[in-house]
Amino acid sequence: MILIEVIGVEPPCARCAAAQKNALQAAEMLRKDGVEIDVKKLNIASKDVISQYGVILSPAIAVNNQVRVAGRIPNPDEIVKIIKETIAAGDKKI
Amino acid sequence: MKYDKIQKIKTIILLSFVLAIFLALVYSRIMAYTLAPTMKPASFRDLPLWYVPIAYIWDYMSHGWICLLFAFVAAGIVYEFIPKDIITKYMGSNKATGYALAAGVAPFFTVCSCTMIPLFSGILYAGAGIGPAIAFLLMAPAANILTILLTGEIISWQIAIVRIFVSLATAMVAGFVIANTPWGKEIENQHKVTNVQRSSIAIVKIPLDEKLINALKFSWYLAKQILPFFFVGLIAVGYAMRFLPEDIVGNYLTGFRGILIASVIGGPLYTPTLVEIVLGKGLLDLGMSQAALLSWLMGQPYDIPNMMAASKIIRWKSVLTYALIAWMGSVIFGTLYGIVTGGL
Repeated sequence: MILIEVIGVEPPCARCAAAQKNALQAAEMLRKDGVEIDVKKLNIASKDVISQYGVILSPAIAVNNQVRVAGRIPNPDEIVKIIKETIAAGDKKI
Repeated sequence: MKYDKIQKIKTIILLSFVLAIFLALVYSRIMAYTLAPTMKPASFRDLPLWYVPIAYIWDYMSHGWICLLFAFVAAGIVYEFIPKDIITKYMGSNKATGYALAAGVAPFFTVCSCTMIPLFSGILYAGAGIGPAIAFLLMAPAANILTILLTGEIISWQIAIVRIFVSLATAMVAGFVIANTPWGKEIENQHKVTNVQRSSIAIVKIPLDEKLINALKFSWYLAKQILPFFFVGLIAVGYAMRFLPEDIVGNYLTGFRGILIASVIGGPLYTPTLVEIVLGKGLLDLGMSQAALLSWLMGQPYDIPNMMAASKIIRWKSVLTYALIAWMGSVIFGTLYGIVTGGL
């Protein structure tokens, strides 16, 4: 099970919305290959998010609770690549 | 192998593009070619009404396009290439580093609200506390790379540099004072993050060509966000130049009274970045004093939308305190600047 968290400003700014759209597209691509995947949106200004991830730049993308992208919009292919890395690493953290 | 080659060519093209823009700016400097608009209020007097904004926008664009292009590209590049781990790693550490980073480093890549709100709340919650957070909030609009470049090129580099230092002083004082008020301390304690069970961060590294593309994409995004307001501002300033009599500006926006008025109207009139520079330039041409212009430019950190957003997180008492300090700062430094330069 893969969890993608898109961390951005609430209400979403244009860049955060773009990052989320790409993450959803990437998830769709992987679901076709049978990967179980869930995409969530987190509010970067909330206390919970900051206590978990610290200060980060938006939009950020975390895969299985690990921040992999911060402050830019990766395209869907890159997100797929990142997720595949996480799957390949298995239980080990990258 | 083939992919490598394409990537190399892409990198070279992108680098030459960035270099070309940079050289264009350097060339314009060497040739002493002015990047600021050249029309004076008198040149508007005889123009037909419909032609006023067109003439003014044309004046700006024909001179200022190099400067605008460079400013947006530079903002994108700085944002993309500045090591972000500095912020993520050290911003949450202790007070002293917090102040230094919040006021000195963070503003350089705070060109849009996308980064402003997260950084503000991040600094507040993650350890550095309310002082550095406020210092950052006040510093960000005054010292980001777009504002500095445009203030420097369109108005004057003297004002641009003075603006950075006086904003820094005001921001530090405001942060420090609020951190020591009872209501500031209360918010800090309330929001302090205690259970530090941090998830790991493993940022993906990307090749240079993609970095450059990202940087230019961000430049384009910024331009799309800011330029429409910029043009509306230009149209307004064009008509102001046409209709606002010079003696009114000369009477009211000079001397100590000018500083007071400029500092008060600077805030509420503040619109998204860059317009205040255009408006300031217009008023300067109409006869506002340099000292009042500095107060005017310093007025923007306590603008109303900014205060509303901040009040959601730190509540109105702290917001009013920083607004008051920012206002006092703009009056004091405006007056000092006037006395020092003899242009009160």
